[in-house]
Amino acid sequence: MRGLPTASIVRAGLVGGVSALFVSLVGLYTRFADLELVGEQITLGRVLIPAPALVAAYVVTRPRFVGGERRPIVLGGGLAVGTFTGAVTGAVFALAVWFADWFGVDRIRQVFVQVTEPLIDFLTFDKGVPAGLAILVVLCLAGGAIGGFERTAPASIRTPAAVGVLTVLALGLLQRIVPIILIQLGIEADWLYTPSTRGLTWLGAAGIFVVAAAANVLWTRGGARAGQRVRTTIQEAPAAKLGLLVVTLSLLSVLPLLLGTVISEVLGQVMVFVLLGIGLNIVVGYAGLLDLGYVAFFAFGAYTTGLLTGALLNTTTGAAEPVLSADLNFYVAVWIVALMAAGLGLLIGAPILRLRGDYLAIVTLGLGEIVSIITASRWAQPLIGGPQGMRGVTNAEILGLNFQKDPQAFYYLALAFVLLALFVSWRLAASRVGRAWTAMREDEQVADAMGISTIKYKLLAFAMGGAIGALGGSLFAVNIGSLSPSSFGILISITALAVVVLGGLGSLPGVVVGALVLIGLPGLLREFEEYRLLIYGGALVAIMVLRPQGLIPNVRRSRELLEEEVEQDAWAKGVTGQAEAVVGVVPGGRLAGESENLE
Amino acid sequence: MGTATEERQERGAQLGRLERLPWRKIILIVLSILIVSIVAIGAFRTLTLPPDQRYAPAAWRDFIVLGVAQGAIYALVALGYTLVYGILRMINFAHGEVFMFGAFAAFFFSDAYERSGFLDANPWASIAIMLVVAMLTSMGVAVLLERVAYRPLRNAPRLVPLITAIGASLFLQNSARGFFGAQTRGFGVPTILDGTWTVLGLTVDRIQAVVLLTVVVAVILLSTFISKTTTGKSMRAVAADSEIASLMGIRVDRVIVTTFAIGGLLAGIAAVLFSMTFQAVDYTMGFRIGIAAFTAAVLGGIGSIWGAALGGISLGLLQSLGPALILTGYAIPSPFQLKDAFTFLVLVLVLIFRPGGLLGSGEAEKV
Repeated sequence: MRGLPTASIVRAGLVGGVSALFVSLVGLYTRFADLELVGEQITLGRVLIPAPALVAAYVVTRPRFVGGERRPIVLGGGLAVGTFTGAVTGAVFALAVWFADWFGVDRIRQVFVQVTEPLIDFLTFDKGVPAGLAILVVLCLAGGAIGGFERTAPASIRTPAAVGVLTVLALGLLQRIVPIILIQLGIEADWLYTPSTRGLTWLGAAGIFVVAAAANVLWTRGGARAGQRVRTTIQEAPAAKLGLLVVTLSLLSVLPLLLGTVISEVLGQVMVFVLLGIGLNIVVGYAGLLDLGYVAFFAFGAYTTGLLTGALLNTTTGAAEPVLSADLNFYVAVWIVALMAAGLGLLIGAPILRLRGDYLAIVTLGLGEIVSIITASRWAQPLIGGPQGMRGVTNAEILGLNFQKDPQAFYYLALAFVLLALFVSWRLAASRVGRAWTAMREDEQVADAMGISTIKYKLLAFAMGGAIGALGGSLFAVNIGSLSPSSFGILISITALAVVVLGGLGSLPGVVVGALVLIGLPGLLREFEEYRLLIYGGALVAIMVLRPQGLIPNVRRSRELLEEEVEQDAWAKGVTGQAEAVVGVVPGGRLAGESENLE
Repeated sequence: MGTATEERQERGAQLGRLERLPWRKIILIVLSILIVSIVAIGAFRTLTLPPDQRYAPAAWRDFIVLGVAQGAIYALVALGYTLVYGILRMINFAHGEVFMFGAFAAFFFSDAYERSGFLDANPWASIAIMLVVAMLTSMGVAVLLERVAYRPLRNAPRLVPLITAIGASLFLQNSARGFFGAQTRGFGVPTILDGTWTVLGLTVDRIQAVVLLTVVVAVILLSTFISKTTTGKSMRAVAADSEIASLMGIRVDRVIVTTFAIGGLLAGIAAVLFSMTFQAVDYTMGFRIGIAAFTAAVLGGIGSIWGAALGGISLGLLQSLGPALILTGYAIPSPFQLKDAFTFLVLVLVLIFRPGGLLGSGEAEKV
């Protein structure tokens, strides 16, 4: 066929094939081979087989820019290019499987431990090598075709189809949550989820697909405009705003009763990270100071809460009193903890104020690591238990609610903390302080020249961020009841950072969504636990490369993050003069288009 | 009339001086006095311990040799940080993972050779093969990393590539966990390297001698490469000013890839030496040594090759001598548990007091 971009197709196909190999070698296919989403046939593992081809085809069929003119590919071309890409991916994949089978699984396994007979059986659909590989290639072809279709088909067809399929997959994945909710609501769930496999039934999947697709069609037909109207009404009428707040709050307050203990427990963990995210967001998102040692505040909050509320040290012979402790009520202690953490923030912040960017990040990383090493060392034994840790942290009992034993009760305590932190953070961002942070983050020298005391506001950011992070630690200590140094490693800092980055730097709704996705989903889908960090790492890279403003961007912050990217694209393509044409390339180009000056 | 204004000016000047009282400087001076006295008292108390609790002179010599050998490995990894930082002004946080992949590659060869008996039959050949394999693997990972994660972000705000690098580090580490499993593997060393050699009356572990020799050769080769070859010169040009360099006809992208490749090669060598010294590999090994090497690079003055070498050796010595010399004096239990805390403390203090490093320009602000 004339005009097919052969080179880029082959390249995309190869990248797709290599990605498929990566997924196999890392063990994701074997891990998810039995996670049934719909019926017995569609497992998460099988859905992942055509996924690399699909993504590769979707990427390669993107509209090209020729001389600043956007040239989308037509449907037929899209399907052809997509299928071709899928064929290359499938060929690479099948060739590798065939090679593994021929070379001997046991020999490969000495290096790649995940290459096992079950993996080969899974990838060949239990049909043996030549026959099964045909199925594999066909699936990749189909994946490529779907990828091309999703890019080039008219929006009126492709969007409802995509929404429908994604909804089905999402509900299939949430097989442990949705049935519980339905049962709590008194709705029969057996027609939707098969009790034996817990995946969706075929009937249920079809129903969900139709409903989701129809909802999408209706939404585009006029629902969007109606929704906009409702939104403006709410924004303009204070009473409606208040009503919305009341509705949200009451919904949040009945949530644990609706969801049962297991999910409430996960929600409690999510809330702890929402708190950490809110705190870190002040430092990174508002003030633009990358803090990689945020775990220091978390650990400080947790251990100080323990010490102030009369927790005991674990020793080999039993328990011992720490050399320094108090026996305060939790609701008194927690404010002291927050104040002390703010002080710690000042103490850490003061000497490192002059450092910027990556140096600040590394120093804070070092300080965080010092805290976790000391926490785990025998030197710290007499005060905080060292490697053995502490136990008997208060359960913060109030009104007869035990926050350690009852996850549903803990949810309310955590909710109270989160709402408080959200309110404080929201008001701070909208205040003079917030504007000072914005100015400082955008250009420190200019902010300084404009009379903003950057030192003061940096310290304030560290103190506020520290206090909120310590509240998170305090909450964590109350929930767990015992403290062990292994809970306070660098992964806490990285997870908190991932939460903030995924949601969008500087965006409070983003923090909540980020925590729900990064903490809530792995908490509910235990199968993911092993791959949690792999996914975090991949998500951090993907977000920064593809959508640096995050899932729910803060408008101003995303403009800052995208502006330079526009410049870069323009520079790379040598079309600085036609910068407007390039603006469309940028993800979320609408925002980027608003910036008048690209230089 | 004149005196009144002068007086007012004088008072104004005094007030100004008072207002401009450099709090930061005072805090820093107090802090440094505190640190120096803590170190001095600790060292004094360690050295004046009763003879039966004191370290024997042989122990000190071992600490020093171990520190230098360990520091030499840090130096090799530190060069990777320094080269990339010099050119891109960015901390390649995932460099430790590049090192780790090299170690795993070497491990699979050493493991197979050990089982077939090739390792002891041809020790030098197998070490050479391990070196080549580790260097190629690390180079591949480093180049791939640059292509996939860093190149799209060449001109992005500084926070963005840094977060990407952290993500890449996490991703690579956990990929290795998925590929090779989570358990620690024992790394086989040829028996010829067991035992000691006596050089000029100094007894040195054979492995440590090999490590030192390899590192010296590698650093000299690298420094010649950078100063003499065309590629080395274009690397320096890009480091000085990448825009001007590109106007002068230097292909900046290619130079950047070369830099990552060289960093990877050095990390591969370091990985083999490190695995032979400690005889174990696991998927988390990259993080700690990555931070230590970065500290070494900063300590010596980031961007400078000889700085990285000096910083590596100094840090190795600090790590092996510090806990014994200083912490023992305060009767802190198991002082070597705090070894890594020492690394970080040094890093923090260097960045606070002398951000340019030992050989750096003493540049106060890292913008």
